[in-house]
Amino acid sequence: MLAILLTVLFDGLAYGMLLFLISIGLSVTMGMMGFVNLAHGAFAMFGGYVATTLMQRAGVPFLVTLPVAFALVALASIVVERLLYQRLYRRGPLDQVLFTVGLTFMSVAGITWFYGPSQQPVVLPAFLQGQVSLFGLEVGIFRLFLVAVGLLVAAAVVLGVERTRFGAKIRAAVDNPVMATGLGINVGGVFALTFAIGSGLAGLGGALGIQILGLTPAFPLKYLVLFLIVVSVGGLGSVGGALLAACVVGVIDMMTKYFLPEIGSFIIYAVMVALLMWRPHGLLGKKS
Amino acid sequence: MSTAVSPAPAASAAGDTPLLRLEGVSAGYDRAVILEDINLTLAEGETLALLGRNGVGKSTLIATLMGATVLRGGRMQWRGGDLVAVPAHRRSAAGLGWVPQERWIFPSLTVRENLAVTARPGKWTLERVYELFPRLQEREDNMGTQLSGGEQQMLAIARALLLNPRLLLLDEPLEGLAPVVVEELVRAIGQMTLDRDLSFILVEQHARQALELTSKAVVMDRGRIIYDGASDTLLHNPDHLNQLMGFA
Ligand SMILES: Nc1ncnc2c1ncn2[C@@H]1O[C@H](COP(=O)(O)OP(=O)(O)OP(=O)(O)O)[C@@H](O)[C@H]1O
Ligand SMILES: [Mg+2]
Repeated sequence: MLAILLTVLFDGLAYGMLLFLISIGLSVTMGMMGFVNLAHGAFAMFGGYVATTLMQRAGVPFLVTLPVAFALVALASIVVERLLYQRLYRRGPLDQVLFTVGLTFMSVAGITWFYGPSQQPVVLPAFLQGQVSLFGLEVGIFRLFLVAVGLLVAAAVVLGVERTRFGAKIRAAVDNPVMATGLGINVGGVFALTFAIGSGLAGLGGALGIQILGLTPAFPLKYLVLFLIVVSVGGLGSVGGALLAACVVGVIDMMTKYFLPEIGSFIIYAVMVALLMWRPHGLLGKKS
Repeated sequence: MSTAVSPAPAASAAGDTPLLRLEGVSAGYDRAVILEDINLTLAEGETLALLGRNGVGKSTLIATLMGATVLRGGRMQWRGGDLVAVPAHRRSAAGLGWVPQERWIFPSLTVRENLAVTARPGKWTLERVYELFPRLQEREDNMGTQLSGGEQQMLAIARALLLNPRLLLLDEPLEGLAPVVVEELVRAIGQMTLDRDLSFILVEQHARQALELTSKAVVMDRGRIIYDGASDTLLHNPDHLNQLMGFA
């Protein structure tokens, strides 16, 4: 029994890492730039389809598809940002919500048209399959890999924002765009690049998550609320908060699906409501 | 004393292209036009006091130089080139160093990051600004907003110096500071411009101090320039100064 519990716990953690990878970009763009991008899940889905297409049509190895998914989604998001989103920065949240929800439905329809509605397969390389014993516990190697990638990305994002000159430029541009501009920071460019990195991470999460999250055209709608829970419970713009919230959400969702499948989604939303009542600004969010 | 715009300034050492020349500039914010028909010339190495009562448009003029307002008309030339064509985020690289009235220290950055994030190579280095303001070095790991008002002002000036500008735009740097701190800053401003390749525009409501520090003066009223002449002349004619400043 305990072994099952621990295994489910670990699976939940791996699932949480995927939620983190996908949500962190959303947390940053919503928290720092104040832009409500509900089409974020579509970027993750795009990353998943980039990976499966490369693997199936061109025989590209799984590990190689990951950086490609990151880069292609990042590039595509820059185009979307420059062409479409830039016009919406000064609009109200309702305009942003309608616009990005519209984009989400367009992406769902577009992908269905190209790939059909069915689940995309993924074959993991042999060395990521199977189990390994960790402190006496049998865990899936791929899930261990996901946890490692998630922690690495979290560390890289924290260090990038807190310790690099580019991170300081992001913080300055968010603090006071007029002054940042006056001192020579290209605020629009900094925001676009930040947005691209966040979208690229979503693409990476989408590619890594094909097996666990599943990949169908309904992906951006199916998971949108979970991503928003991670952002909101974690606290807008907080990397550590998003990581913590993603793990909590992942574990609870996995536990309830396993042990209480009939009321699984009831519990996850009840927990969300409770957490937000307890800490309205998120687990690690700053009080404003 | 002329109340009209003064004739072209004497040729500077660098040639006879002025550092800055505004012709018929009008500018403002989204709805309001604040500045009207501003004409102004500053030669290389010259220093200018920008005077006037509250709300006459001094800060708006400074912000207009930085590209932070809506320009409605007129021409702005910077070292012979068109300043209007330079995007706002390139104006610091062109040589403008902005110290805004609100100071606008970045709260999420440490003191050191505030200085380093936009620093450009040149003779003003981190060591040199720390020499000028030793207090900043002592507090370099503090967050920007943990500083006192005077320290924030020093940080704003140091941050602008690290851009290695040719023209420093000091918008009421002495406002609201204790007399000791004012003395310290005045000394620092005097020290900064010992080398003649740094000019500044000093916005002040307390005219005397500004006139003593500068070679030229401009007085504004309701968005227009109503006096343009030598600082000395105004300094030695307090009645005229009071009249211009609306105290008469
Ligand atoms: N962001 C803004 N939007 C609209 N109007 C503004 C803005 N900033 C200033 N103004 C208006 O422009 C006019 C000039 O303001 P400005 O700040 O340039 O005056 P100032 O001479 O710097 O005054 P002070 O000595 O009080 O700093 C004022 O009427 C002010 O209300
Ligand atoms: Mg002002």
